Amino acid sequence: MNLEYTIFIDYAPTILLGFWLTLKIVVCAIAMGIPLGLFLALGRRSNFVFLSFLSTSFIEIFRNTPFIIQVFLFYYVLPFYGLRLSAEYVGILALAAFGSAYFAEIIRAGIDAVPKGQLESARAIGMTDWQSMKNIILPQTLSIVIPPLTNQTLTLIKESAILSTITVHELTMTGLMVQGETFRPFEVFIMVALLYWALNETIATIMRRFEKNINKNRNTGPTNNSSAILKQNENTR
Amino acid sequence: MTLNFLELKGLHKKFGDITALNNVSLNVSKGEVIFIIGPSGCGKSTLLRAVNWLTPPDKGEVWLEGDIVGSLSSKLTIEESKLLNSFRAKMGMVFQQFNVWPHLNALENVVRAQMVVAKRNKAESEVKALKILDEVGLSDKINEWPDNLSGGQKQRLAIARSLAMDPILMLLDEPTSALDPELVGEVLSVLRRLVNNGMTMLIVTHELGFASKFGDRIVFMDGGEIIEEGIPEKILKTPKTQRLKMFLEKLNITSFKQ
Ligand SMILES: Nc1ncnc2c1ncn2[C@@H]1O[C@H](COP(=O)(O)OP(=O)(O)O)[C@@H](O)[C@H]1O
Ligand SMILES: [Mg+2]
Repeated sequence: MNLEYTIFIDYAPTILLGFWLTLKIVVCAIAMGIPLGLFLALGRRSNFVFLSFLSTSFIEIFRNTPFIIQVFLFYYVLPFYGLRLSAEYVGILALAAFGSAYFAEIIRAGIDAVPKGQLESARAIGMTDWQSMKNIILPQTLSIVIPPLTNQTLTLIKESAILSTITVHELTMTGLMVQGETFRPFEVFIMVALLYWALNETIATIMRRFEKNINKNRNTGPTNNSSAILKQNENTR
Repeated sequence: MTLNFLELKGLHKKFGDITALNNVSLNVSKGEVIFIIGPSGCGKSTLLRAVNWLTPPDKGEVWLEGDIVGSLSSKLTIEESKLLNSFRAKMGMVFQQFNVWPHLNALENVVRAQMVVAKRNKAESEVKALKILDEVGLSDKINEWPDNLSGGQKQRLAIARSLAMDPILMLLDEPTSALDPELVGEVLSVLRRLVNNGMTMLIVTHELGFASKFGDRIVFMDGGEIIEEGIPEKILKTPKTQRLKMFLEKLNITSFKQ
């Protein structure tokens, strides 16, 4: 198969425009999805039965149905209720909702991974439930949840390709259109794939750095340094 | 008033079929140091955790300085929760497993609750924290992470964290049980200071030597009940019940082995 290199150059601006929209959509979806996920996680653990029920239902519905169906429902059903949004905004909402369900479960697992004594000591000293969460539990949750949250973010970026089915001119949609014009699927989709890959790789790298930084600044959990010291103590006994 | 500084009235607690507390009542005067002893699983921890409502009892009341602590209704009102939190701030609790906060350094461990709960400003909280850390012998560890502290240092840090709230009562649940023998002394010497300063304390322990020296009273529990109580001399030298005799014998044998 011959590569037609001019395609890369001629259509780069178009493809990059699609990439730019993907980037904007994904950033908005994550910016909404993670706080919503935190809210859902706390809601699910809450003592308020109604809040807990709503959160659990939301999480389970969005985790157990195909994303493409959720997108169609958002796209075709919202207008019925008078909410006329452009496809891009529908896409952001759908992606944020879908992502938040997974983010919520990751955060909930992270909270559960903090030893029970941590919450007890916070409550015993007079902190409210929320003060304990904010000051004691969630900071310790952070270093636990960063790797799975990163994974979920990468998944979300890949899933955003599905928004092409509701006419959002994001990266995949743009690729499809360019391929329809040029009939050069190989060149076009190589470009598209490379851009998704570059974005994900960048995010993964940034998050790895961030994680390292946290573990350096706050000595959560037995890091190498502390376990070495513990072992040392063990030996001198 | 002095007699009823702390009053536990008819506390009951069940976990499923297990009766952890069975009609436990106890009066504690201000400044009194009470040691609670008894076999494992007899309800000592549950009793301490009932005092600050960390484990709310099924029945019974806790009174501190003439005010009732906690409420038996399963859902506390906002007012009740606020009140409960203010009681908890006055009752320092020290756990067997220390439960220091690993994401905060030693100084921040002592500062955080002062700012969040007692609403003191940062400067004020730090001054107080430094003073207390010095008192428990950790002035050279203020920037250290808890993970880098020994068990004895962690427990002293946990005690400092409680003391920073100006508690009027301390609840200590086997504060030295998780420590290696050579680290027990440093924690006991901090406790000795508290005793000398007149702190009111309920201490669950197996350190009978310490209890007999510094306790005003020893309470012996078994099966969720208080079986015997009295001055250390009486409890340790002339136990009345068979259960206490057996418990003391067993404890002596194990400590002899060590
Ligand atoms: N959260 C709990 N759930 C179920 N059972 C419990 C719980 N806490 C304590 N128990 C039970 O209650 C009894 C008393 O426990 P505890 O107060 O911890 O005893 P102690 O501190 O004297 O060893 C034990 O049988 C224990 O297994
Ligand atoms: Mg116990």
